[in-house]
Amino acid sequence: MSATPPAAPPMRDAQSPFARLAGDFFANPVAAFGLGLLAAIVLLAIFAPLVSPQDPYDLAQIDVIDGRLPPGSRSSTGSRFWLGTDDQGRDMLSAIFYGLRISLAVGAASTVLALAIGLAAGLAAAYAGGRFESFVMRIVDIQLSFPAILIALILIAVLGQGTGKVIAALVTIQWAYYARTVRAAALVEKRREYVEAARCLALPPARIVFRHLLPNGLPPLIVVATVQVAAAIALEATLSFLGLGLPITEPSLGLLIANGYQYLLSGKYWISFFPGVALLATIVAINLVADQLRDVLNPRLQR
Amino acid sequence: MRRALGTVVAIVALAVASGAPAQSLRIGLAADVTSIDPHYINLIPNNNIAEHIFDKLVRMDADSRLVPGLATSWKPIGATTWEFRLRKGVKFHDGSDLTAADVAFSIDRVARIENSPGPFVAYTKAITAIDIVDPTTIRFRTASPHPLMPNDLSTIYIVSRKVASGASTEDFNTGRATVGSGPYRFVRYVNGDRIELVRNDGWWGGKAPFSGVTFRILKNDAARVAAILSGDVDAIEQPPIADLTRLSADPRFVVVSKISHRVIFFNFNHLERSSPFVTDRDGRQLARNPFRDLRVRRAMSKAVNRTAMVERVMEGHASPSGQLVSANLFGHVPGLEADAFDPEGAKRLLAEAGYPDGFQLTIHAPAGRYVNDEKIAQAAAQMLTRVGIVSKVETLPMAPYSARASRQEFSFHLLGWGASTGKASSPLRSLLATFDRDKGTGAVNWGRYSNPALDLLIAEAVGEVDDGRRRGLLEQATRLAMADVALMPLHFQFAIWATRKGIAYAPRTDEYTLAFQFRAT
Repeated sequence: MSATPPAAPPMRDAQSPFARLAGDFFANPVAAFGLGLLAAIVLLAIFAPLVSPQDPYDLAQIDVIDGRLPPGSRSSTGSRFWLGTDDQGRDMLSAIFYGLRISLAVGAASTVLALAIGLAAGLAAAYAGGRFESFVMRIVDIQLSFPAILIALILIAVLGQGTGKVIAALVTIQWAYYARTVRAAALVEKRREYVEAARCLALPPARIVFRHLLPNGLPPLIVVATVQVAAAIALEATLSFLGLGLPITEPSLGLLIANGYQYLLSGKYWISFFPGVALLATIVAINLVADQLRDVLNPRLQR
Repeated sequence: MRRALGTVVAIVALAVASGAPAQSLRIGLAADVTSIDPHYINLIPNNNIAEHIFDKLVRMDADSRLVPGLATSWKPIGATTWEFRLRKGVKFHDGSDLTAADVAFSIDRVARIENSPGPFVAYTKAITAIDIVDPTTIRFRTASPHPLMPNDLSTIYIVSRKVASGASTEDFNTGRATVGSGPYRFVRYVNGDRIELVRNDGWWGGKAPFSGVTFRILKNDAARVAAILSGDVDAIEQPPIADLTRLSADPRFVVVSKISHRVIFFNFNHLERSSPFVTDRDGRQLARNPFRDLRVRRAMSKAVNRTAMVERVMEGHASPSGQLVSANLFGHVPGLEADAFDPEGAKRLLAEAGYPDGFQLTIHAPAGRYVNDEKIAQAAAQMLTRVGIVSKVETLPMAPYSARASRQEFSFHLLGWGASTGKASSPLRSLLATFDRDKGTGAVNWGRYSNPALDLLIAEAVGEVDDGRRRGLLEQATRLAMADVALMPLHFQFAIWATRKGIAYAPRTDEYTLAFQFRAT
């Protein structure tokens, strides 16, 4: 076993690869801004219970008497609603923090699960080849030929509503992207000499797949995953907007926007506007980070 | 060329804008019309269209009072027979005469509709035999005295025997069998999109003011408002409450409303078994169903602030309710008010009933069936949570919702009931009488409330011929049911219409949007 070549031979540069990546990443100020914004949003979401003036999911704390107050109003008990309230008297600022929490959690959870499933399916398909590969990839093709929102709607209609079910629907939609990406990358690597060498050494397939194919297929996957987090968040918001996502007493960003949508014509802009801005900021931040990651991780674009 | 075209367009536009009273009316409807067959399903949006094409023996005025329709008079002759005299000279749209034979055929057809999701048979079931005395006299025999006959027949549309014999629901939808005697004739039905009708100049009730009407199905609230704002339609029903302030303030539009016959209420699950939607504070299922305890039901009624609900959630477009029918309907109990908002009293009652820490509850509500239904449920959840009944809300579309509710799957669910016969006997019979498929009572008693004393009173009232005594019995039954908090009324919603200036509509309690009742001003 001592003759085994190291899986991914580290470059013996002056810098560690991570430090080099970090350096490349922050070379672009826009991307740095995106990362900073994303970090701020994630922190706000994680510490929402500490920074929110109100727990918007505790029905005992909200009062319909305070409904539809414009930004800056005072409640019947004297506290201030900086971003106004929705129709149920929920403080919009708190609702947005908590909504971010749900959106990010749903986005992250569905991405991780879809990534794991897509990765396993894609790698297995690429390594096994033959009928198994055709079978898996045809499923992927069929699924990718349907619009994501259509699949999500059907799944929610069948499964019913709830956080777990929304995540399940998002995973079902997204695994196909990862499977396709990772298979493509693994197919390229599979024909490289070092993999052939590993085979000649009679290494077990699991080791070849996980130590050789996987690490080299990761960079494109990371890029796809970051973009897909944003897509998952947008899709969850769409489902919630259509009234098919999460329970209405625990609104996510999409549901907050939907609640305010009917008040737009009557001038109560804040119910939709602020959650919309929060959703936009989140997705833009993730996309900025994803763009830069793609540039940094793509060897062909290396400066 | 382009300039010439522009001129033509301008002239046409001017002609349309200045044309004296508009000839054709365009109305935006809030709900889907699922069929043109007037006997297929008893559903307000479908009936709304049938009201234009077909006539009924007895009609209802804007306040849900009975007025003559095809029948000019009716009276009981003997204990179990009703005689109706028909209007002379009424013709169907195809020119043939409408006679007693068509009436008998129509009543017979109601029972022969197969697979109806909501049949009209409840209203014809009492009839055991029909005698055609002459072309304008018809008698209905019943097994027992049936004073509600004119009310029941105010729901049955009369179709042509000649054309509709053997006709299927599909034949009505395509228009082949859609021959009525009403103020408008059928032109076109595009499922989910529009219904076009043209005036029947020979209608016995007088020529309608507009020569034609196009009903557009605009289920989405925002789309409906946008349609009237942009001038695509002349009038809409149920403008969303959120937009009323804006519409009323705009001089181009007129908003009218009237208290509707529809009561919005919460149904309790009265079954012995406890449902998974009620648990203790730690999420364990309760051994017994708390809603069987009157103290719990009363506590919940006291916990809900109906005034705040009407003012904040309904923005004033509803009236708090402590009973089943509104003030202008038969059987309304004068002075029977809703429970006053009393959270402390509610907590005391809960403690007495053995729930000092309250319990957890999932409230179910339909999404978009009634005005602000989801918001009502959420506001109620807040109010109940504050007295210790920690609540969350689940909403679903009406079709799966009613299917599940009718299987007693829910613990506490929101519902609305329009007293379509204009009398308190309608909600009492359908919502609160003990469920009995054979007798046709308690058809929508989805909480399975059962109170023998109430059943007796309802049966007595339904069989009572004297109006005064019947009113007394209905009031007594309502008092009994409300004292027992058999269900929890919240409010009567308002029926609202918005029209463009120059067109007037007299609002109706039955929520119907009737083209022949619109006037150019």
